[in-house]
Amino acid sequence: MIDPARRVARLAFVAVACALASAASAQGGTIAGKVEVTPPKYLEETVVYLKSVAGTYKPQTHAIDQKAMKFVPHLMVVTQGDTVKFENHDNVVHNVYSPDNEGYNLGSFKQNENRSYTFSKAGVYTQLCSVHPEMLAYVFVGQNPYAAAVDKKGHYSIKNVPPGSYQLAVWNAHLKGPEKSVTVTAGKTVEENLVVKR
Amino acid sequence: MSRRSMFWARAGVALALFALAAPASAIPAFARKYGTSCLTCHTVYPKLTPFGEAFRRNGYRFPGVDSDYVKQETVALGQEANKKTFPDSVWPGSIPGSLPVAIGANGFLRVHPDKTASTPRAGNGTQFTFDDLVGEMQLWAGAALDDTITLWGEATFASDGAGIEHAQMLFNDLVGPKHAVNLYVGRGFPNIGSFGPHSSYIADQMVPNAPVAAVYGLSEDPFMLVENYNGVEVAGVVAGRAAYNFGVNQGKSSGFASEDWYGHLGFKLGGMRLDGEGSTGAEDPLHPWAENAVTLDLFAYHANEHFPDPNAPDALFANNVSFTVGGAVRAQYGSAELDLGYYHQTHNHLSPTLDAEGATVLGEVKADVLYGELSYVVFPWMVPALRVESISLSPAGGTGVTDWHIMPGVAFLIRPNLKVVVVGNFESADGFPVDASGSPLKWQGGSADWGSFVMAPRPTALPATKQQNLESVAIMAAWAL
Repeated sequence: MIDPARRVARLAFVAVACALASAASAQGGTIAGKVEVTPPKYLEETVVYLKSVAGTYKPQTHAIDQKAMKFVPHLMVVTQGDTVKFENHDNVVHNVYSPDNEGYNLGSFKQNENRSYTFSKAGVYTQLCSVHPEMLAYVFVGQNPYAAAVDKKGHYSIKNVPPGSYQLAVWNAHLKGPEKSVTVTAGKTVEENLVVKR
Repeated sequence: MSRRSMFWARAGVALALFALAAPASAIPAFARKYGTSCLTCHTVYPKLTPFGEAFRRNGYRFPGVDSDYVKQETVALGQEANKKTFPDSVWPGSIPGSLPVAIGANGFLRVHPDKTASTPRAGNGTQFTFDDLVGEMQLWAGAALDDTITLWGEATFASDGAGIEHAQMLFNDLVGPKHAVNLYVGRGFPNIGSFGPHSSYIADQMVPNAPVAAVYGLSEDPFMLVENYNGVEVAGVVAGRAAYNFGVNQGKSSGFASEDWYGHLGFKLGGMRLDGEGSTGAEDPLHPWAENAVTLDLFAYHANEHFPDPNAPDALFANNVSFTVGGAVRAQYGSAELDLGYYHQTHNHLSPTLDAEGATVLGEVKADVLYGELSYVVFPWMVPALRVESISLSPAGGTGVTDWHIMPGVAFLIRPNLKVVVVGNFESADGFPVDASGSPLKWQGGSADWGSFVMAPRPTALPATKQQNLESVAIMAAWAL
């Protein structure tokens, strides 16, 4: 006869093991690495992403501010279906438009006003202001949320990727990068370094 | 002062201004723009390395995509995406984040070991002169508006006055393959060779000038091959190995319709391509000037100049038409370089001669100009060189005369942007050109004011008198920042 206390302990162990396994499966794996960009001055306009991942993703809302005559942030990564709210915290009128893909023009709006746009198609959308031609931002719209902009040292990390095999790609506003096949295992990190150049 | 003396004084000032105005190429604004040393493009500036020559030939752009190499902050005047919205928006461009200018100065000290030589005789018998120690200051500007349109300018300030030496807009890569068709508009040197006009180590320019109208006392502002003119030029590099230039300019026909035109063809065998494509620098980083290559150049130049006709009672303008054909070769073997060149020039109205009725008219003069420069880069900061040049003048019905100029020298880089050139000037003439009365005239022209043709006849000299002078030892210094 099993001691009731030991039975409870066994059940607790099994439960914890199952929970951990389930969590690992839900988390998926991570793809991380470094992107080497030549010339390095174009580094900040780089996104690493998975080209196609089956699934549906809950739409989210993000914000890009216009502050001190700049779009902040300069590069935003979103998923198709997401909405970006363009804010204006300058005391001058701004306009937001993009000539890319289907194109749009959100008109001009004053301080503390905002305009929103929902990106229904994947692609890269240049954000321009017709009033201030020096202003520039990029909205990278992925087919899936598994995309990440590189940090100032070129590092990136795409987390919670469902286990499976994918095409890893890199986008840069000026340069070209390779595509790589990657296989993601739950709970593990795959390291992939990429070189982007002319 | 007599009118004749006044004329020579003015002519001297004009030629000195020309000679002083020429040094240009080293432009630290580019060093700041690309965050790179002067030595990326120059040896002893303004002499260019093969990469620097490619940069100049490309319209002051790096091979590849120029903006990739720009490290200086720029201010966007529009975005690349604006090209998609054109014509509803202005085609995008950019300007440098700080003013793209550089300043510099140059001058020289001249020592005259022989006080009876031409220059000291013209200067009160002085043996040392600091008169030109601060010759001029320069203000350069060089910038890109995008990856295809560039600007280049130079203004000079001297005690005799200021002037705009260069002001060009360079529209690059207009049609066809990259570098094949470019248009230069504004004021600049007509390109009659594959290399920059200042590609000499010890002179100011590689191709010597022959200011023949000034030699004959007809013009204070004579036509010369290497000078700044207002005009347009089409230039290009084809397949990396062939270069061409052709253009039209106002020349020395201010107030008259210009009929000046020129063309040049060049071909380079070996070494870096003329456009530098496929390379971001020298093959040997320790010897960026060195390569094994031969470059051949041919050119033709048709020019007009107008000046008051001394034989016309109502001072009508005479129109001297000149036609020049010439060629050059540059042979490079490692750190050694030999430049050889020649041009033949025919002027139809220059030398005083008698017509059938015994009246003095302006007749034909042929000029032949030879030059050669041998240099060896011993160290990146020290380049000895020997330069030889000659001008021969053959007036119709007159006797041909020749003046040789031999210049041994050493160019030193004290710092990448500070140079000193020590050069000796020896001159030997087998005679002198003559004026309407048959009196001998002084020689003029050459490639540098610290070593130009200055041979003047001694008071007892006849037109056929042979004369040799150790004219001077010049110490020339220049800086730029």
